[in-house]
Amino acid sequence: MNNMAESFQEALTSGKFLIAASLNPPKGTDLEGTAGVIGKLKGVVNALGVYDNPRSLMHMSPWAVCRLVLEQGVEPIMHVSCRDRNRLALQSDLLAAASIGIKNILCVSGDHVKFGDHVDAKPVHDIDSVHLLSAAKSLSEGNDMAGNPLKGSPAFCLGATANPEADPLEPQLIKVDKKIQVGASFLVTQPVFNMENLKRFVDHVRESKVKVIAGIDLLVPEEVPKYRDGSYPGLFVPENLLEEIAGADIEKCVKVAGDLIKEIKSANLCDGIHISAPGYEDRIPDILKAGGL
Amino acid sequence: MIVAKRKPFNEIKESVSGANRILILGCGTCVAVCLAGGEKEVAILASQLRMALQLENQNVHIDELTIERQCDREFIEQINTSVNVDDYDLILSTACAAGVQLLSDVFDHKVVVPGLNTTFIGVAEGPGVWTERCRACSDCVLADTGGICPVTICAKELLNGPCGGARNGKCEVDPEKDCAWVLIYNRLEKLGRLDRMKQIHAPKRHSVQEHPTTIVHEAYRQRYTV
Repeated sequence: MNNMAESFQEALTSGKFLIAASLNPPKGTDLEGTAGVIGKLKGVVNALGVYDNPRSLMHMSPWAVCRLVLEQGVEPIMHVSCRDRNRLALQSDLLAAASIGIKNILCVSGDHVKFGDHVDAKPVHDIDSVHLLSAAKSLSEGNDMAGNPLKGSPAFCLGATANPEADPLEPQLIKVDKKIQVGASFLVTQPVFNMENLKRFVDHVRESKVKVIAGIDLLVPEEVPKYRDGSYPGLFVPENLLEEIAGADIEKCVKVAGDLIKEIKSANLCDGIHISAPGYEDRIPDILKAGGL
Repeated sequence: MIVAKRKPFNEIKESVSGANRILILGCGTCVAVCLAGGEKEVAILASQLRMALQLENQNVHIDELTIERQCDREFIEQINTSVNVDDYDLILSTACAAGVQLLSDVFDHKVVVPGLNTTFIGVAEGPGVWTERCRACSDCVLADTGGICPVTICAKELLNGPCGGARNGKCEVDPEKDCAWVLIYNRLEKLGRLDRMKQIHAPKRHSVQEHPTTIVHEAYRQRYTV
């Protein structure tokens, strides 16, 4: 599956159905578990997305985990959040990432600090995800955001996120258009449950030729109260699915995720999927199998 | 206007401890309008302090005075026509923090303590309700956002919003709060100016809001130039 002769960027343009999965950096310095997960997913995915303090929970910086991903022969997609760093630090980190071989960057606004474990932290948001994409593009063209020339410039494959389940959708579409305009070549969506919503979204971006990678979350019963109360920003799980998951065992949850993959693949709307299963990364191969991949 | 809120009583009582003669100085402008530090609020605070200190058998003399506003030397300089500031150990000011500081500058030989926490620049939505509307960023974008401030109302201060977390038009941070960018979209759509939202807005220029800032009106530049 993971043909390192073909990069993630090449795979994006090849027309193949892409498979990506996400990886949480450790909360600490112990990378043993992370290395194990990478090992299990090598050969199963085209790329591994590495979160940046997901849901504002403090974890190791993603560039270090991306380096480990590369060392193990898998291609990383580094998430970069605008929440924790100003424009100086963001550009510095992008250059550092490029210097160790990280090419794929997913630019995100970042979940608000209130969701995390450092609620008194100052949300930075010096720039937003559109500015960050633009900055990354500028760096790859040889200049920083302020127009200063660089000595050595990175080569990035830039991505962003989008939420086809947003209601109202129109403001989201305006934002997505901007992300594409400034250089996003792929979009990773928040989990989608309604194919009509996904179709409406894909129809809007189709002309731009941006690649759409559908987000798939493994929904688990212990998190159902949090799915309901909005503790997962951007995740809007329909009530009927919450009820199905609430009393389910993990095999059922894997099947539910697999069924979503089947539905998305058969709708023929997306260019790939991006699976998120924090704490259950070892089940990702089973989820893919349940999804017919 | 500036909106402020009275500090917790125990904090105020602690800050005046040791003083035997206190002047509570109110402000008749913003903080009076938001029912935090005007003449009535000064009277209430004075009564509370007197009662609390008497319960502790402390013999403290408390006087009350409210002036037009404390952010203007013109009014501060008139205080001594009503009272003799030197008769007091301490001035408890119920102005906003700007007024407290100017008062401290003018009476720099006196202990001046704040009775309020200054909270925001805002408007009255109705009697007793004020909402924050402005963060004084020195780079106003309201022309592009239909009169709705993304710096103030958006939890992430996005200039190109919304983020992906808005749920049914509400902010991911608080389901009671409207998403700023959904509000902006609706307003611009109503005005036929959605093109403003479709433009990419450049990053904030923090250099224009160096703190602390001084503004000298051009008509007065000669007066202040050495």
